[in-house]
Amino acid sequence: MNAEIQNRFIRNRNSIFFIWTLTLFLITACSGSSTSSVVPEPDTNAQDKITNSNKDILTVYSGRSESLVGPIIDQFAISTGVDVAVKYGKTPQLAATILEEGAKSPADIFFAQDPGGLAAVENLLIPIAENTLNQVPEWARSTDAKWVGISGRARTVVYNPNNIDESDLPNDMWGFVEPQWNGRIGWAPANASFQTMVTGMRTLWGEDKTREWLNGIQRNEPTIYPKNTPQVAAVARGEIDVGFVNHYYLFRFLAEEGDDFPVRNYHPRAGGPGSVIMVAGAGILESSKNKTTAEKFLGFMLSEIAQQYFTAQTYEYPLIDGVKTSRILVPIDEINHPNMPLSSFADLEGTGKLLRETGILP
Amino acid sequence: MKSLIDSKSFASKTKQNGSMWVLWLPSMFVVIAMSLPLIWLFARSIDAGSDFWDLVLRPRTLSIMLRSISLVIAVTITSALIAVPMAWLTTRTDLPYRKLWGIIAPLPLVIPSYIGAFLVVIALGPKGLLQDGLDLVFGIEQIPSIYGFTGAWLTLSLLSYPYIFLPVRATLSRMDRSIEEASHNLGKGSWSTFKNITLPLLKPSITSGGILVALYTLTDFGAVSILHYETFTWAVYIQFESMIDRSMASIFSLILVLLAILILLPTTLYSNKGRLYRNDPGTPTLPPPIPLGKWRFIATLFCIIVILFSLVIPMSVLTYWLVRGFEFFPSLTNILTATWNTFSIAIIASIMALVSSIPIAILAVRYPNSWTKLLERWTYMGFALPGLVIALALVFFGSQFATPLYQTRTLLVFGYLILFIPGCLGSLQSSLEQINPRLEEAARSLGSGGLKVFLSITLPLLRPGIMSGLALVFLLTAKELPATLILAPIGFSTLATLIWSNASEAFFAQTAAYSLVLILLSSLPMIFLISKRT
Amino acid sequence: MINNPILRCLNLNKTFKDSYAVTDITFEISEGEILAILGPSGCGKTTTLRLIAGFETPELGSIEIAGKLMSGPGTFIAPEKRNVGMVFQDYALFPHLSVIDNVGYGLKNTGQEEARLRMVLTMAGLVRLQNRMPNELSGGEQQRVALARALVRSPNILLLDEPFSNLDIKLRQQVRVEVKDILKNNGVSSLFVTHDQREAFEMGDRIIILNEGHIEQVGTAEDIYEHPNTTFVAQFVGIADFLPIYTTANTTQCALGSLYIKQNLTNMANVTLMIRPTDTSICPSDQGSGTIISRIYQGAFTLYRILLNTGDFVHSLVPSKQKLQIGTKVNLRLKSDHIPRCFEGDRAINIA
Repeated sequence: MNAEIQNRFIRNRNSIFFIWTLTLFLITACSGSSTSSVVPEPDTNAQDKITNSNKDILTVYSGRSESLVGPIIDQFAISTGVDVAVKYGKTPQLAATILEEGAKSPADIFFAQDPGGLAAVENLLIPIAENTLNQVPEWARSTDAKWVGISGRARTVVYNPNNIDESDLPNDMWGFVEPQWNGRIGWAPANASFQTMVTGMRTLWGEDKTREWLNGIQRNEPTIYPKNTPQVAAVARGEIDVGFVNHYYLFRFLAEEGDDFPVRNYHPRAGGPGSVIMVAGAGILESSKNKTTAEKFLGFMLSEIAQQYFTAQTYEYPLIDGVKTSRILVPIDEINHPNMPLSSFADLEGTGKLLRETGILP
Repeated sequence: MKSLIDSKSFASKTKQNGSMWVLWLPSMFVVIAMSLPLIWLFARSIDAGSDFWDLVLRPRTLSIMLRSISLVIAVTITSALIAVPMAWLTTRTDLPYRKLWGIIAPLPLVIPSYIGAFLVVIALGPKGLLQDGLDLVFGIEQIPSIYGFTGAWLTLSLLSYPYIFLPVRATLSRMDRSIEEASHNLGKGSWSTFKNITLPLLKPSITSGGILVALYTLTDFGAVSILHYETFTWAVYIQFESMIDRSMASIFSLILVLLAILILLPTTLYSNKGRLYRNDPGTPTLPPPIPLGKWRFIATLFCIIVILFSLVIPMSVLTYWLVRGFEFFPSLTNILTATWNTFSIAIIASIMALVSSIPIAILAVRYPNSWTKLLERWTYMGFALPGLVIALALVFFGSQFATPLYQTRTLLVFGYLILFIPGCLGSLQSSLEQINPRLEEAARSLGSGGLKVFLSITLPLLRPGIMSGLALVFLLTAKELPATLILAPIGFSTLATLIWSNASEAFFAQTAAYSLVLILLSSLPMIFLISKRT
Repeated sequence: MINNPILRCLNLNKTFKDSYAVTDITFEISEGEILAILGPSGCGKTTTLRLIAGFETPELGSIEIAGKLMSGPGTFIAPEKRNVGMVFQDYALFPHLSVIDNVGYGLKNTGQEEARLRMVLTMAGLVRLQNRMPNELSGGEQQRVALARALVRSPNILLLDEPFSNLDIKLRQQVRVEVKDILKNNGVSSLFVTHDQREAFEMGDRIIILNEGHIEQVGTAEDIYEHPNTTFVAQFVGIADFLPIYTTANTTQCALGSLYIKQNLTNMANVTLMIRPTDTSICPSDQGSGTIISRIYQGAFTLYRILLNTGDFVHSLVPSKQKLQIGTKVNLRLKSDHIPRCFEGDRAINIA
């Protein structure tokens, strides 16, 4: 190959490089500056936020899905005039995101599905004002005031009334280690609510009995589900006879599938860890530049309107006095639930260790 | 052939005189981008306490690894066993409606594994549709469990065989037919010709598709979590999702990288002999299709079964949900917004992936040596890591060192790039390999400058590779969930994120609506691409 | 004329959407004969080969090889069962197999296959190259591999599709001789297609001229050159000019003077006389019947193109020692040994 062709080769590569950089530049430029014309995109840019700090803007990381909390957050925005930007995701993923962001987190509020997610980022939260905290019962808030419960949920056992009579279900969770339940149980050990129940179990039963229970259930070859929803569906199909879930999934199925949907909740009649009451909660980040507005947000979520919304629309339990529980839910007082402060659910790490040791989680 | 040797020796000459930077510089940018998640993983895994070796070395870790490896091997082989016969049947034989089959066959690729697996459970699970049917007709009350290995293996094979089907079909349709005719002429029948001639020539395409299938299987979370098969990626997610234990997750991710290297290493050492571009063929018209004879029925049945399970059943279940819960149908504005967001971000990501792949493809094809090979393989790193890991790595780098870009579409597109460049690179490379370098030389000898040659000769000839690369990245982006959830700007919801939020709350009708829109949206470029090729 | 044809094609017909179709192709090849099919591109040469090899099915007609019906009404023998060797235009060597594996690919386990392989490799001069890969071979070497591979099964007939078109001209000449030697020494009956008249004349015992899918003429090289059946054949196998003939009751004349033709041409219209460049001699003359308008120096001979006063063009090939400039007026004369060949329209008139 002669020198001339060689030169042309080099020129050719130069032009490729030129096109490459040009495109890169253009695309970076437009994707960086453009905001969608369809969705009004709230500004999330940290620098802009400083300059606009006199305007009320709130950034919420929500581990609860948009279909559940979107409407009530909109309600907050409308009634207060605050511009709310919400990032929806899975609670643990958002917790991990907040941990990576550290002091540079753009979030003001972390609204989590379960206490475990809040506990993971506890070091990055600031204490919440007394009067907000005091609205909810003591068991529904963190001991060091870092976060507050917004709505209550009960652990329950779902069963298929076509296959099992309620009276045949054991009095408490311990009963499920009996060999007669072999191959009939479903569970979701990776699910945060399940782990919260196990943490409660460790408090109520002690480490050894909990381990025994976990081993006992495993001996009964339970079907493993990634989360709660498919468990409820599996009970309906008759794939399993019982599943360990939270109470509200059933009501969403009933709303969509009608009352014939062959699944019912069972709150163990002898109480114990199988019917603990837990919360979904929220906390304010230390890096927040709008702590006052953030407090306002928590206050609103604990207002009568919001609490009414949660019980009517998401079938959860209200946490403040004076709000009536939805008629289709079993009132919290009729559930034989152990009275435990949320601090007894804090040791997630210990639960993780136990689940690893028993080979349930990797 | 002679000039190929020339251009190789020329390459080493120019590299020595240092003018290769125009290709290397942008390539190095990609390499650095690909390294970010690894750097982050190493940093995070150092945080792990002293007992981390105990955790890594316990038998359970080993058993998860073996499960991962066996799933990868089984899915890759099964995908090849589905894809290669289908590609052959649709390009070489008188299979009825073979053009139509050719267009339909790659479509399962657009179904996200989290939807696919969920539908498999509905259809084939205990008390699922199949069993109900069997019960009704034959009174069979129990079928083998779909959970565990069987389900994950079936689902992933049915969803990922198009990764092999597409390159194999492309190679088959441009393969010099006289080579196969020569074999017939030398007394070999169709099977013997296929085995001894066609199959060896398909090896590079099967390998490149197989790598994608293997890595896809290795890093899939959707299917394995729904079907309860515990793989390494599952373990990584469990560490993040239920323990929020970043250091353990990082250690597991690094092991995942090691597994990926194990997959990539043998294919790096393998190099194909002989030229792939061909001289002008002397064949006047396409040879007539091979008559299948008595095999015609079985071949048709095979295609019907594959498409039934990979496409028809999933689509029917989704449609059923949609119709049943029609009053819950999401508002048109929501659907349009999400569709536009998905479409626009996927278009930008695919164009960016294309632009970033071109220098690497040119280096790897025109200047093959161990460095360019390493460079090319390094880009597979993103494909070898779960989307969640890459997203969190970028959360860290973005929020700490590129704050203005954090939670903008730029960073999201950057994340997609790291994840999906290999999807584009593969098809670009195979396209470039077929362009006779003599054509570029001819254009230069006719006095065209470098830019003109690239725009007027190389780019148009690369078009098939460009189009299929764009289509692949487009649909991978459109269905990607964890990276989108974590890196997207606030308020930016795509079809995938809406599917997730509706599915996790058991809103089946909405889930079905968004899923169907996603599948249709991703099918459009695929159908366009395939129908144009045939 | 042929007693035991190794190949017999009868009324072959095959149509395609675009072109390359063939109509009513009928011919035979006898044992050991080399038959060339010559024609312009798109005339159906390759289609004919592919019909014989069994890669295409004829719509009408039949093909018999070694007395066995291969294609015909209700019969179709698969290509792999025909024992027909084929050398493809681009050789179609298996790129992933070495020379020895390419050549040995078609051999069956008979116990003697090793010896046969050795023999063919030696015959084709490939022993030294046997472990090379196809992309490490020159064009001529690839050619020999393709030939050896086709011959290794001792096929009933060998088909060659433009076998020399991928070689450069100098190599082509040499390889043609080598290939012809190999074919003749082994008594291989072969059929090859080409668009190169020199190649057909040099290699073919007989030649078929194919045009737009039908046979124009079959014959030896001499037959075809000297007695073309049609103006197409005449012009395809060499330079031919056609001068109009004027006939009266007892004279036959053309622009070059009167002709002695027994036959009565008076009742025919549009009659022409074919003139090859070697049929005429020229000498300069101020009152000449034509003017030189171009000259091509070819070494020993020079080809002149002359515009006759009548407005017709004629080519003349003369020894180069006679040097004439463009524009020179010349007298053109038919050589005395010239045997006139006349055409009515584009078909030759049989003159006794």
